[in-house]
Amino acid sequence: MKTEGLHVKVQSRDLKLWYGDNQALKGINLDIFNNKITAFIGPSGCGKSTYLRCLNRMNDLISSVRIEGKVEIDGHDIYDPSVDVVAVRKRIGMVFQQPNPFPKSIYENIAYAPLMHDIVKKGPECDELVEKAIRSAGLWEEVKDKLKQPGTALSGGQQQRLCIARAIAVQPDVILMDEPTSALDPISTQIIENLMVELKEKFTIVVVTHNMQQAARVADYTAFFHLGDLVEYGETEQMFVNPKEDKTEQYITGKFG
Amino acid sequence: MLFIAFIVGKGRAISIRAKGLKMHSQPDQYGWFVTLYTGLPAMMVGVVGVFLSLFGVASIPPLMLIGAALALAAFSLYGLSVKMNEKTKARDLVENFIKGLLLLAAFISIITTFGILFSIVFEAFHFFQRESFIGFVFGTTWDPDSAFLAGAGRGHEDVAAAKFGAVPIFAGTFYITAIAMAVAVPIGLLSAIYLAEYASDKARNRIKPALEILAGIPTVVYGFFAAITVAPLLVNFFRSLGIDASFESALGAGIVMGIMIIPIIASLSDDVISSVPNNIRNGSLALGMNKAETIKFVVLPSAMPGVIAAVLLGVSRALGETMIVVMAAGLRPNLSWNPLDDMTTVTVKIVQAMVGDQAFDSSLTLAAFALGLVLFVVTLIINVISVYLIRSFHKKYKVSNL
Amino acid sequence: MKQNDYFYIPQIKKRNQKAAAFKGLAAAALATSLAFLGLFLFDMVRQGLPALKQAYVKVDIAITEATLQNPYAEFDRESLAIISRAWVRGLPQMIEENPQWIGTTQTLWALAAAETDQYMKGKQNRLRENQIQIVEKLKSDAKIELRFNKIFFFTGDSKIPENAGFFSAIMGSVLTMLVTMVIAMPIGIMTAIYLEEFAPDNRLTQLIEININNLAAIPSILFGLLGLAIFINFFGVPRSSPLVGGMTLALMSLPIIIVSSKAALKSVPDSIRQAGFGLGLTRWQIVKDHVLPMALPGMLTGSIIALAQAIGETAPLIMVGMIAFVPDAATSIFEAATVMPAQIYTWSGMPEKMYIEKTAAGILVLLTILLSLNTVAIFLRRKYMKKW
Repeated sequence: MKTEGLHVKVQSRDLKLWYGDNQALKGINLDIFNNKITAFIGPSGCGKSTYLRCLNRMNDLISSVRIEGKVEIDGHDIYDPSVDVVAVRKRIGMVFQQPNPFPKSIYENIAYAPLMHDIVKKGPECDELVEKAIRSAGLWEEVKDKLKQPGTALSGGQQQRLCIARAIAVQPDVILMDEPTSALDPISTQIIENLMVELKEKFTIVVVTHNMQQAARVADYTAFFHLGDLVEYGETEQMFVNPKEDKTEQYITGKFG
Repeated sequence: MLFIAFIVGKGRAISIRAKGLKMHSQPDQYGWFVTLYTGLPAMMVGVVGVFLSLFGVASIPPLMLIGAALALAAFSLYGLSVKMNEKTKARDLVENFIKGLLLLAAFISIITTFGILFSIVFEAFHFFQRESFIGFVFGTTWDPDSAFLAGAGRGHEDVAAAKFGAVPIFAGTFYITAIAMAVAVPIGLLSAIYLAEYASDKARNRIKPALEILAGIPTVVYGFFAAITVAPLLVNFFRSLGIDASFESALGAGIVMGIMIIPIIASLSDDVISSVPNNIRNGSLALGMNKAETIKFVVLPSAMPGVIAAVLLGVSRALGETMIVVMAAGLRPNLSWNPLDDMTTVTVKIVQAMVGDQAFDSSLTLAAFALGLVLFVVTLIINVISVYLIRSFHKKYKVSNL
Repeated sequence: MKQNDYFYIPQIKKRNQKAAAFKGLAAAALATSLAFLGLFLFDMVRQGLPALKQAYVKVDIAITEATLQNPYAEFDRESLAIISRAWVRGLPQMIEENPQWIGTTQTLWALAAAETDQYMKGKQNRLRENQIQIVEKLKSDAKIELRFNKIFFFTGDSKIPENAGFFSAIMGSVLTMLVTMVIAMPIGIMTAIYLEEFAPDNRLTQLIEININNLAAIPSILFGLLGLAIFINFFGVPRSSPLVGGMTLALMSLPIIIVSSKAALKSVPDSIRQAGFGLGLTRWQIVKDHVLPMALPGMLTGSIIALAQAIGETAPLIMVGMIAFVPDAATSIFEAATVMPAQIYTWSGMPEKMYIEKTAAGILVLLTILLSLNTVAIFLRRKYMKKW
């Protein structure tokens, strides 16, 4: 895999995770490159979503979880005790599988976090940020007249784009996406896949998907997980055309799901 | 008698079966069939007789009643044992009978509601025939003493007519309820938030039963606590500040009533907040919001319909509460803004009207029914709204986020 | 530190402070609720514990035939102020039970009067100065002591404070609850069976369900009005009797029993019913022989909870007259009776200070009974839950 000229944005060193006594991640070493789309693939239960959630410390919310190892963004350890997890999540945002707009207006959905983080002040500055975020998510034309309406009144695909806009508004460096299109119809899926490609210019995108074709379509790099191990990681094209590991080949050719 | 019927029925059925003919139902069911159809007519006769004598329509000597019942039973027994054959659909008949019986039981709850409604409306109607309705709803003077005298048979023409303006009483009820809610809602809701969001499972399991104990304390006990402990405390406290407070202050009754309502609000709110899906919480946390911000901006608004329903339920409970106010609030209707004043409520007046010595149909007694009617209607409306809110809350979270 | 600069958010300290304050506020609210409970129980115990003991005075009485007629003559005025009049009134009966006493001087322990008792317990009292001296002398002579208060548990109410007991209230509650459960359990369970197992999904069923929900929310005092207007006035059920009290409370308990029984029935897996149908059983047979036994513990739990609630109800019973002064415990459901909460209510309104400790003691008895009932119910629920 060619790595010259590539900046490592997020890096994990020997990351291990246990749910109680059950070890779910067995020492993951992974470099995620800046302004690229990296996809995690693998059969269910392989640990890809668990690993994703380690990158923004969402696993901290589960009381039975124990983590060892390092995760660094731009060389800074996000698990360092002096670091406030709130600050980590501002830098590393997340979009979930089920669209989860807040029971508030579209405007408030987007404006809430930036205002709390003091990125903008209320008023025209905020309006501008909201519009920019919605435009970046490709949703502006559809909602520009409906900003006061509740976010939950939108269709599934629109809601997910709203969630993406919401994540963008916080001005993160990295956007994590946990199976963002698996609950959506094919047309919405395509819109969001196109969006991802646009967004990588400004952000680093990491997406978990159970749909290999999606990884093949959008991702620059792909990581294949299996039973808590990172089996193979490389440029997407090379992974799909000429996988190095047997397991990878078996998964890609559908020998197990 | 019925036992004999059962045996005969079963015996006949077995004999038929022994002949090898195909039967429709089991022998046991035939037994029950015969029992029912002999016993029931006999019982009906008895019941009719009792009702007749109750209403004073006709008085049938008990012996004759029993004789008639037995005769009827014997008659049907004979008829059935002769006519019953393998074609008798005993099973279905017994089944339907039981179904009917159960339905009757279910009806009793409806009869009860109508009973309450009927008795209250009926007597309240009598009241409004005598006293003015407008005066009742809008009048501010409640002075029924001459009605009491009249009811006890000593009315004079020169005594001023009784006035039944209920506004001070309504005001007292609402004021004390308001104080109670001012205590119960903040404490109850915040307690629920802590239980639902912050407390560990172990702590939750220990604390929830404690709250249930608080909820199970009889209101008369709260009333005692209010009158004997809280009231003197309040009076002394305010006295030390140089303010006069009544021993029967609205504040005392209101505070204790609030304590009583805390578990209602806390428990229901806790359920509602816990059932807000985690997905929404995660969305807020992933944006870099901390827990408190997430609760305030996302969780609570989502739970709001349920919380409002809980508050309404609390209000309804407070409005209808009797013992605490009877023991700790005042007896005189008093239209006042001062929470340290004594004032009275609808429920106190109802009790007062009923335990006096006047005749049942004096205006004072009937006034109690009029007050009861108002209470019934108001609490009914509040409860309907509350149920509707909870239902729509559950619907919202069943459909979305599938 | 470089780390902090990278992860710096301007308002973060303030936000965290606000968050901690919020959490603290919520915790404080919860602590307050629990503190109320603690304070309240502590206060009740403090006030009620003294009632467990009663003051008795050692007296020497010369017993003659004349004492049977006029027991008061044996005591001087000062003694009569210190000893309970009720006890003296009961002296002739004691003598009749012990005829060998006549002609002798007996040393008996007499029940002390209320004010004396309160003084002995260090409570507010109305003893006069000379009376206090007499009592103090009795104390130094070891002629007055505090003993276990059997009167409280075994006698009925009395206008004489030292003689007042909780017994008639306890019996009244027992009788009333008997009537309540005998009426409410069958009707409630049958209604639940109908609604869960037999009812078609039509308007009538919906109406019944809505109705039950409404019934549960009606203020208890309105049930009292119902009891008064219809049971007493229309049907002529005797006022103040456990019968009318029980009937009224039964109607109040119906919704709880129905709802919990429905839940118990619902929790029986449908596969059992399906199996029954497959065997050709009728619905009633399935319910009676298979569903009902499994649902029974849950139904029992619900009934116990309903019972616990009914025991503490006062307002509706006041309306049907059960706050009559009842010195002797009722023995049938047709006689006038009082119940524990009503007794607590009447006692709390009595002027004599001694009633305060009795009221508190009565409350403790009531709360103990309630706690036991609820514990049994929880225990049943846990045991029953283990099955699935």
